[in-house]
Amino acid sequence: MTFLWTAAALVAALLLQTVLSLVFPGYARLFDPFLLVLVYCGLTGGASRAMLAGAAAGWVQDVHFGGPVLGLSGLTKVLVGFGVGAGSTRFHLAEPGARVLVLVLATVMDALIFNWLAAVFDVSAYALSPAGLLVRAVTNAGVGILVFETIDRRLRPPARRDL
Amino acid sequence: MIGEGTVARVLDTRKSRFLLGGLVLGHLVIISQQVEVGSGNRLLDQTVFAFLSPFQRLVGGAVAGVSGTWRGYVDLRRVHAESQALQERVRVLEMQLQEEQEQVREAERLREIAGVRPLLPLDTLVARVIATDGLPWFRNITIDRGELDGVALNAPVISAHGVVGRVMAVGPQAARVQILLDKSSGVGVRIERSRITGVVTGKAGYGDAAGGDLDLMYVPALADVVVGDVVVTSGLDRIHPRGLMVGRVRSVKSEGGLFKEILVAPSARFERLEEVMVVRRRPEDHRFTRALRPEPSPKPR
Repeated sequence: MTFLWTAAALVAALLLQTVLSLVFPGYARLFDPFLLVLVYCGLTGGASRAMLAGAAAGWVQDVHFGGPVLGLSGLTKVLVGFGVGAGSTRFHLAEPGARVLVLVLATVMDALIFNWLAAVFDVSAYALSPAGLLVRAVTNAGVGILVFETIDRRLRPPARRDL
Repeated sequence: MIGEGTVARVLDTRKSRFLLGGLVLGHLVIISQQVEVGSGNRLLDQTVFAFLSPFQRLVGGAVAGVSGTWRGYVDLRRVHAESQALQERVRVLEMQLQEEQEQVREAERLREIAGVRPLLPLDTLVARVIATDGLPWFRNITIDRGELDGVALNAPVISAHGVVGRVMAVGPQAARVQILLDKSSGVGVRIERSRITGVVTGKAGYGDAAGGDLDLMYVPALADVVVGDVVVTSGLDRIHPRGLMVGRVRSVKSEGGLFKEILVAPSARFERLEEVMVVRRRPEDHRFTRALRPEPSPKPR
C-alpha cells in the first residue's frame, strides 16, 4: 500500500511539474515536488523508504527533465533520502519547524550534491546562484510544510494510543 | 563526540546500509557507462519515457483547455459589480471575444509556420510543446510527437523565428528537446555577413524565464564581427541544416585573448514556444553531407 501511495505521489509530482512548466514557463524550476515526496518518505518511513523513493523520483526527473546523462538526479536524491531518513531516526522531526528546516537543508543538499556530481562526471549544467538556491529552498519549505501538515491531519489515520 | 553507538543509530539497520551501497553503486555504474559510450537512444530512457509521457500529453492537452477558460474567468471578474443581466451579457461577449482572440492568435501562429514550411527545403513536422524545463540545471522542452511520427534522435527542432534545439530523447508519442539555452548545447554557426564560423551555447541564468542569451565561442579576436550581425547555422555540426536563423549579435568584446567574447540574442522566442517544427531528415536531406562530399569530376568526352 505504501508503495502504491509513493508511486501515486511521484506521478502526481510529474503532472504538477508539467502543469507548472506550462502555466509559469521559466519559473517551474523554482519548485521541486519530487523532493517533497522523498522528504516525506524519509520523515515517516526512514532511510530505506526515502532512498527508494528518492531513486525513483530522481530517475523520473532525469528521464523527463534531465540532461544528457541519466542517473545524476537519481543518485543525488538517493543520497538526500539517506540523509533525511538517517536524520529522522536520530532526531525528533515531527514538528512543523523541524520539518521546515529539513526541507531547506534537503533542497540545499540536493543542489550541492547535483552540481558536485555534474562536475565529477563532466556534465555541463547550470549552477545555482545563492539567491536562486534561497528562493528554491523557501518555496519547497513553504509548499512542503503545507502539504505535509494537510496529509498528516486529513489523510493519515491518527496513531493509536495505548492507555 | 559522536560515539559508535550514535553512528549505529544513524545507520538504522544493516538493510539501510546495504541499500545505500547498492543504489549508489548501481547509479555510478549506469552513469559511468553512459559517459563512456556517449549519447544514444538508451533502452531504459526510452522505456520509462514511453511509460510516463502519455500522462504528460494528457496534462498538456488539459492545461491548454483550462488556461483559456481561466483567462475568461479572470477578465469577467471586473464586471462583477454590475447588474446580473448586464453581467451575463458581458460574460457571453467576453467569452466569445476570448475564444476569437485565441483563434486569431492560433491562426497567426499557424500562418507563420505554414508560411515558413514551404520555404524550407526540409521535411518538417509540426509539434506542440507539452512541458518545459522542470529542473534548474538544464533547459529542455517536451513535444507531443515521437518515434511513431517519424521523430528521430538528434533531429533539429526549429520555429518560425529560428532554431530551437535538437531532440535528445524519443518516446513513441513524445520527445524531449534540448533547447539552445541549455549549457551543454552546441550549434555550429556562421556570421552571415563575414562568413566567420563559431559555436553557440547556452548562457541562461537561474532566474531567467527561458530568455537568456547565447555565447558565441571560438571566434578569433581579429575576426570581423559587429553588433547586429545575423548568425545562422553553418551545418558543420552535422545536426542542423545550414542557413537557419539562430539570432543576432548583441555585444562583442575583445580583451586581449585569442577569441572574442560575443553574446547572441536568440531569434527563437523560447519564453513563448507553443508550436515547433521537427525536421524529419531522410538520407537525401543531409544537405551538409552533400556539401561536404566532393563534387564528382566531369567525365572526359
